[in-house]
Amino acid sequence: MADKAILYDATRCTACRGCQVACKQWNENDEYIPPPGGDGVQASNWGSYENPPDLSPTTWVKMKFTEDDSSGKLRWLFTRQACMHCTDAACVKVCPNGSLYHHELGFVAYNKDTCTGCGYCIDACPFHVPRSTRNTLTGIAKMDKCTFCTTPGLDRIDAGWEPACVKTCPPGALKYGDRTELVAEGKKRVQDLQAKGWTNANLYGEKELDGLHVMYVLEDSPAVYGLPVNPQVSAATIAWKDVIQPVGWAVGGLTIVGLGMNWLVARANANKEAK
Amino acid sequence: MTHHEVEKYRKPIRVLHWIHSGAFVLLFLTGLVFFIPGLGFLAEDGWTRLIHRIGAAIFVIIPILYLIVNPKAVGRGLKQAFTWGSEDMGWLKAAPAYYFSGKEKGMPPQGAMNTGQKMWWFLTIVFGVIFVITGAIMWFAKASAAPATLQWMTFVHDIAFIVTGCMFLLHIYLGVFHPMMTEAWSSMASGKISTEYAKAHHGKWYAEISKGKEEKV
Repeated sequence: MADKAILYDATRCTACRGCQVACKQWNENDEYIPPPGGDGVQASNWGSYENPPDLSPTTWVKMKFTEDDSSGKLRWLFTRQACMHCTDAACVKVCPNGSLYHHELGFVAYNKDTCTGCGYCIDACPFHVPRSTRNTLTGIAKMDKCTFCTTPGLDRIDAGWEPACVKTCPPGALKYGDRTELVAEGKKRVQDLQAKGWTNANLYGEKELDGLHVMYVLEDSPAVYGLPVNPQVSAATIAWKDVIQPVGWAVGGLTIVGLGMNWLVARANANKEAK
Repeated sequence: MTHHEVEKYRKPIRVLHWIHSGAFVLLFLTGLVFFIPGLGFLAEDGWTRLIHRIGAAIFVIIPILYLIVNPKAVGRGLKQAFTWGSEDMGWLKAAPAYYFSGKEKGMPPQGAMNTGQKMWWFLTIVFGVIFVITGAIMWFAKASAAPATLQWMTFVHDIAFIVTGCMFLLHIYLGVFHPMMTEAWSSMASGKISTEYAKAHHGKWYAEISKGKEEKV
């Protein structure tokens, strides 16, 4: 099936944060208001309209506000902070039991029931998206992130609907559809922006990590928005999953075979001696 | 048949060995489910990770308790792991013929620990420390350390797992299954081995203890 994607146009976004609310409402992620001294997300004024201050196991999408005055004129820029649904997804690579996997429509889904709580995905994600509840002493944890509205029982995609954030977006900054069509549309919007003088305008996510399933139309370089310019699966992930682990299987297997052979030979020789 | 025996391992050492190895088995098995994708389903909901932490606590506490109770024995043991001589080279050369066909020719008399056992003991100490440091960071600094740091800790933990895991299989094999290492098991189970076995397998050590210069391990 053709991959689906979300196109986010930062130049159309008004940062109303309707997507944040719709996401929470649809996915039943009520915000936890922490008691004084509690360990929830502190929703206090920290000098920005950005709220809550960070993603959490119950906040899967969050608008990020950037103030840029490098050109001498203040720009208030908005981006979306949520799972980018990579094709070359580091989280899927490091997940020890396949709880994280690629949905048939290309995005990264997960099975929360089987999640072991190891948190490898949290450390591997180039966008620092997955979050977990965690008991530090016991290590018991569960990861959560944007499911592209495919949470079992709450699957909008399966029902033929758009994701909740797209559905609710008042200025039409979010669009859901076939990825190839959205790439074409994103490129067209970038061309329009460049024609209007935004020479650094670009489509973020077309090629990054073999293609993201959430793409951004940006009026300036991703760095200005605080996005990684060239996101990569980390060297540690590759060294660990593509080198050390296969080497470990080989060395372990050879050890078992070697010991078995030694046993056969040594037993034969011991029997010969006994006779 | 009269049977003369010598004590190879004192009781505190045997208790230390079995509790510590029990913890290692727990750690090994609950780590293995993360290493072999086909076993990953066993780790669902993270209960293996809880067992891993219980195992880790025992793995750390028991040697520390032993250090407090008998620091001298720990000192002797550490010295053994880091004392290497010419008979170790000789052992390495003679080992293949010895372990496959039982040819004792060329095998220099060994101390209380032969070279192979010493290698295992050495790796136990070195990788034990590496396991504990990398593991403690992943356990207690999961929310505070940089993601890259945590990833490299996992990487190093994995290398330690591969090396010690393979040596562990070898250790069980030689202790329990090898057709000629008949008394390795009893040395750690009852603590005693026959004088014949001691002479044949740990000649240098046997000579020392029969001279009256008793140096129990």
